[in-house]
Amino acid sequence: MGRNDHDAIRAVLSGDKDAYGALVTRHSQTLLRVAYRITGNEADAEDVVQEAFLSGYRRLETFESKSSFGTWIYRIAVNCALDKVHGRKKYDEVRIAGHYDPGEEEIQIADGAAGPERIALSGEIGALELLALRSLTVTERTAFILRHMEGCTSAEIATVLGIDSNGAKQAVYRAVHKLRRRLAPLRVGV
Amino acid sequence: MKHLTDEELVDLYYGERTEEPGGPGHSGDRSDERQHIASCVDCRDAFAALKRDLDAVPEIEPPAQAADYGQVVWQSIAPQLTRYEPRRFEWPRLSAGMRLGVGLGFAAACALLVAGGFFAGSLWESKHPQQVAARNPSTAAGSNTGAQAQPRVVVVVLSDHLDRSERFLVELKHADLDNSGTGTPLRDEARSLLAANRLCRKNVAPDDDPALSTALDHLDRLLAEAANSPGRLNGAALARLQEEMNGDGLLFEVRVLRSRSTDQISAGSDRPQGGTI
Repeated sequence: MGRNDHDAIRAVLSGDKDAYGALVTRHSQTLLRVAYRITGNEADAEDVVQEAFLSGYRRLETFESKSSFGTWIYRIAVNCALDKVHGRKKYDEVRIAGHYDPGEEEIQIADGAAGPERIALSGEIGALELLALRSLTVTERTAFILRHMEGCTSAEIATVLGIDSNGAKQAVYRAVHKLRRRLAPLRVGV
Repeated sequence: MKHLTDEELVDLYYGERTEEPGGPGHSGDRSDERQHIASCVDCRDAFAALKRDLDAVPEIEPPAQAADYGQVVWQSIAPQLTRYEPRRFEWPRLSAGMRLGVGLGFAAACALLVAGGFFAGSLWESKHPQQVAARNPSTAAGSNTGAQAQPRVVVVVLSDHLDRSERFLVELKHADLDNSGTGTPLRDEARSLLAANRLCRKNVAPDDDPALSTALDHLDRLLAEAANSPGRLNGAALARLQEEMNGDGLLFEVRVLRSRSTDQISAGSDRPQGGTI
């Protein structure tokens, strides 16, 4: 698989544009999955996949053949997804000053309309958990998604997010702590 | 062992390896924490609660896509892509460190090649002295006169001595016999040259270079007479020395020998250091 990726990249750089189609076909599902998990929106996720592959094509000359194309384009997709989330939040998020942490972006989703009790009472436990996930900061949520759902190591998360490994670990710890605290009332009810 | 922290429990849940270097008790697989949980009720309960909470977090899966989703993506972006121009051959991209390494390696290879050339050359010369002599006419000429291979320093000292002797003889030849002040500096110079001359005679065996040996003998006699003549070196004594010098043709002999030794030095300076003349 990896060898085929490198062959395709060489072909693309030699002028065979269509060879990139094989790479797109091969990695689209993976990119869509992580993009959807970060953006939480199917349309945004599809946009992210396209943007990632376009960006990857334009920067293909900078790709170092010693690394995996899958990892490389995955990282681009995560960054595109984060850009998408940041852009969206400019319009529909509010800052909660009480939790402001100058060390990271502390923009959180305003979810006052849907309290935990109300959702729990309606039986939408999964929705509440997803909502709790959305209450995290972008960094925390992305780190948690990459750790919990994508199975990335702290080092990989650090690379994708452009922070150090310890910072990535701390982001995961904070995410887990906040999620558990937020979901605690639900556990009691269950 | 102390109770595990929340962070350690999270790492344990996700199977995050410890960062301690490898070694006894530090395999990185958190076996210590696992053993502790097996024996500590509090930590076991805490870990079970964490596991229950995290297991309950649902996986976020995107809506199912058609099997040809990748093709759809490709069709949508393909028109926006510009074909890469075929690349000419380029040297592999090297980092600054690698470029430095390649440069140093190249320099080292060149240095090794040059050093190897010198070594091989000197080795070859030492094993083929006849061929070296045949290719070096000046050295060959030296051999013809009987001068065997002499250390370069001896030849230089000898040349210097012959040069000083020639100047002494010239001064003696043109000495003003009526001037009483001429004798003293000549005597001092003669004494100085006498010691050097004896040293040179020791290093030149008669069989090796008869002409040189004879000249040095003549010079020794003349210098000894000039240095040790009783009383002041007056006009009569100088006249006697001039007569002796002219009778032996000593000045001419010394000039020829000095010229030859100069040639030997010049020939030697064209050859690699460490060689022989």
